[in-house]
Amino acid sequence: MSQDLRNAPTTKPAIAEALRDIAAPAAGATAATPVAPAPSDMVTIKVDGREVQVKKGTNVLEACLQNGVDVSYFCYHPGLSSPAVCRQCLVEVVGQPKLVPSCYTPVADKMEVVTNSARVVQARQQMLEFTLVNHPVDCPICDKAGECTLQKLYDDWDHKGSRTEFDKVHKPKMADIGPHIVLDAERCILCSRCIRVCDEVAGVHQLGMAWRGDREQLTVAPGQRLDNPYSLNTVDVCPVGALTSKDFRFTLRAWELYTVPSVCPGCATGCNVEIHHGQGEVWRLVPRENLSVNKYWMCDDGRFTYKEIRSRRHSGARIGSGRGLPAQAVSVDKATSFAAERLSGTVQKGGTIGLVFNAQAENEALFGLSQVAAKLEAAGATVRRYVVGRKSHPERADKILRHADMNPNTRGAQVFAGAGAGDADALRSDLGKGALKALWMVGEDLPFDDAVLVELAPSLDALETFVVQAVHDSPLVRRAHVQLPACTWAEVDGSFTNAKSMVQRIRCSVSPAGDARSHMELVSMIAKKTRWVEGEAWQKSPRQAFLQLTAAVQPQDGSAGPFASADWGRELPPVQLRFANSRG
Amino acid sequence: MVFGMPTPDEIVSGAARELRSRPQFPPGFGEDADDDAPLPTEPMTINMGPSHPAMHGTVRIILTVDGETVKEADVQVGYLHRCFEKEAEYATYTQVFPYTDRLNYVSPLLNNVGFAMAAEKLLGISDKIPERAQYIRVLIGEISRITDHLTCVGASGMEVGAFTPFLWMIKCREWLWELLEELTGARLTHSYVRIGGVAADLTDNFAQRLRDVLAKCREAMVDVEKLIVKNRIFRDRMDGVAVISAEEAVAYGWTGPCLRSTGVPYDVRKDHPYLVYDRFDFDVPVGSTGDNYDRFAVRMEEMRQSMRILEQALDQIPAGPFKLDDPRISLPPKSQVYNTIEGMIGHFKQIVDGVKIPPGEAYSYTEGGNGELGFYLVSDGTGRPYRCHVRAPCFILMQSVPKLIIGAGVADIIPTFGMINMIGGECDR
Ligand code: SF4
Ligand code: SF4
Ligand code: FES
Repeated sequence: MSQDLRNAPTTKPAIAEALRDIAAPAAGATAATPVAPAPSDMVTIKVDGREVQVKKGTNVLEACLQNGVDVSYFCYHPGLSSPAVCRQCLVEVVGQPKLVPSCYTPVADKMEVVTNSARVVQARQQMLEFTLVNHPVDCPICDKAGECTLQKLYDDWDHKGSRTEFDKVHKPKMADIGPHIVLDAERCILCSRCIRVCDEVAGVHQLGMAWRGDREQLTVAPGQRLDNPYSLNTVDVCPVGALTSKDFRFTLRAWELYTVPSVCPGCATGCNVEIHHGQGEVWRLVPRENLSVNKYWMCDDGRFTYKEIRSRRHSGARIGSGRGLPAQAVSVDKATSFAAERLSGTVQKGGTIGLVFNAQAENEALFGLSQVAAKLEAAGATVRRYVVGRKSHPERADKILRHADMNPNTRGAQVFAGAGAGDADALRSDLGKGALKALWMVGEDLPFDDAVLVELAPSLDALETFVVQAVHDSPLVRRAHVQLPACTWAEVDGSFTNAKSMVQRIRCSVSPAGDARSHMELVSMIAKKTRWVEGEAWQKSPRQAFLQLTAAVQPQDGSAGPFASADWGRELPPVQLRFANSRG
Repeated sequence: MVFGMPTPDEIVSGAARELRSRPQFPPGFGEDADDDAPLPTEPMTINMGPSHPAMHGTVRIILTVDGETVKEADVQVGYLHRCFEKEAEYATYTQVFPYTDRLNYVSPLLNNVGFAMAAEKLLGISDKIPERAQYIRVLIGEISRITDHLTCVGASGMEVGAFTPFLWMIKCREWLWELLEELTGARLTHSYVRIGGVAADLTDNFAQRLRDVLAKCREAMVDVEKLIVKNRIFRDRMDGVAVISAEEAVAYGWTGPCLRSTGVPYDVRKDHPYLVYDRFDFDVPVGSTGDNYDRFAVRMEEMRQSMRILEQALDQIPAGPFKLDDPRISLPPKSQVYNTIEGMIGHFKQIVDGVKIPPGEAYSYTEGGNGELGFYLVSDGTGRPYRCHVRAPCFILMQSVPKLIIGAGVADIIPTFGMINMIGGECDR
């Protein structure tokens, strides 16, 4: 065998292609299929000698990226306007004497673009060198390190040593510019993405540039703060570690985190997020692109919903005599048996049973509960169904993302509770009238103030059987005879239905707190032990439940219902951010 | 000359010597053995290992014996499985080196070199590795081959009752490991090789110290040979035991000293030269019968050949860089890392993301202590292997152990197994 054969790698493009497909993150459950534009909308351009078809009005940078041609850029962001301030995206357009910023140049028919000539690569390297001249040597203490666009582009394109001999220009290192954000002006590369996020997404002008030349810096106007409901999006779009989130900075290094695609549980919009978790805890939520829901953004409140995953958790089953008296800690198995005994006792005596569909719970659990309700009704029991959730906050609603309804799955709860279901007020009045003998709450949330809960307490205490599946501990939970520990949204596989009736997958990221089980599992355990529902597909796994429920709720008339395009997606292996390639 | 003992010249010269002329005993010597008619027996199933001192810790053989004769043998490996290949998928290429140390752990640097060469092949930089780095790799590789063979030969002497050779050879091994410890910072888990070169240059007096140690090792080897080559017990236990023909050995996929003991002169260093092996004058010793004695003799002679290579390499080694000067492959100097953002990012990206290797697949093979040590890598373009497979030579040798020991005596299993030189770390991965 010759020396050559020994040393030549076998590079098979097919393998690379196949691998790329495996590595690509799965799309959201209901990414809308883009409508193919009519041919007349298309222009033909040449990128590096290859002919490609792109939509009219696209810019050259997008045309390149869409066709897998790697062009570096800092200031361009698909969700924002292009000011062409960073000049990192320079390319050659045949016929034009100067290099052009590709993010600012619309495609024209027959245009010929060159992205890999020596001239273009040199321009790219020079821009990077220029950007790095005054950049501090901060990576080891920089929150962006590992997902920094500057690091990535230097590594991809430049990788040359420093040629400067002078001190770097110094700027404010730790400017507290907003309730959630700290600015390190030295790391800023002046791309203006953050300014545009405030202007174009949040609709407020709170950031701007001051000074000029190498002393130019990002700043807030005097007396102003970077304070808007979407402020943390600036941290995501910042290509470097200039803007850091007070909540996340100096906690874990980004590359140690694992990412799981999921959906924000903060409100009925259902922004697509990535859960970033590590060491068994969730550390932050960041928005995930979904053009038909949240585009590239999410609100600040939503980012902090992860804190509920580990606070005030009700993590062990308890049974007792209710009324807020001390209860006995038991296994989940024992507690569900106890619940089953009490519930079937009440039902056998002909007592009315109230089933509470909580809009915080996932579709699969609510579907299970609806199956139980149907079985009971068919057997002649009196069942009342209620859809409840957290209190809505009309003042927070805006035309951007924030929704007044603070529950992620109100639509799902309404669909599964069915037409005759009451709302929270109906529940309140039924309890007040003593119309219920037993109450089974899937989820502990109620949209009531403390005063109302105090007023309700005697009626709850009067119940013969009170079973609650609770995520968080509260005085209400402690009034129940059976207090079952349930998982949060981040601990289960399932789906939420948002306000636009889109069914979106949520995925398990961290293991449940204590003894907690998913709502679906608890519903299924009680249903089995009461012998109301046994051996049905939905009781086997969340995926089986999902398949059964999507089939069950299709409209009779054959039209595409809310669940028509719902897709469970494939199982995802754990992906460490370190190997998800640089983000930023 | 007593018993046709090889002259010191014959032993030390390392001439291209087919080891056919094994020393002969005088006629009638030791022929008073007791060969009574065998007693009637019935088959019995017994367990050897996995926790048995002669099973090198980690292999289990379920034997069916009839008296002392092995009738059936079920060899079960895997007790030292550490998911090396899977672990490698979750580590950057550089982080895999410490794992490779633990493959054949009596010659860790050979594994280091083998893995580095696979990654370099995939990167397409095999021909760009600085010469000095290549010589250093040869040096540490051949030292490791000697430590590998010293362990194997010394231990198998001990396993048939000769304890002294074991102590002498382990003493030699220790001298060599001390030298490597000085060079790499660790006695056994060196992790010294890097993609593009090695981690550090040779220590100042490395050449002189190595020459001194080699001289002492040569002496010790002569002493050992004097003790066992003509030893009746040793020879009775090794000669003609576990014979395999060249055809069968090739069919089983044998490589390395074991294959050469059958007379097939296949050595990756000669047949598919890598690094700078084509610049050295060395012989490939081969045996004639493929029995345990040949496997012993081939290893002894290979150590001498390695010493020849080492001496030539010390003479030839040029000055120059010891790793590739490419910021995407080798870490930048610390002065740049601490003082410039460019050096910092380069260092950071290599440590955190790993050395990025373009998508593709490559199989690279080198001569390990036990034979052809191959690494098969698939890259998806990231900094860690998408798939990493090791062709562990002794794993392949192990499959023929039943064939070798069926029909032999129970006691013969020990030297046979010793001469196969199964290293749990490499076999089980
Ligand atoms: S912004 Fe990027 S390059 Fe700058 S210090 Fe932070 S990680 Fe390093
Ligand atoms: S702070 Fe970040 S996003 Fe804003 S201008 Fe600077 S680099 Fe760009
Ligand atoms: S990305 Fe085009 S100029 Fe910044």
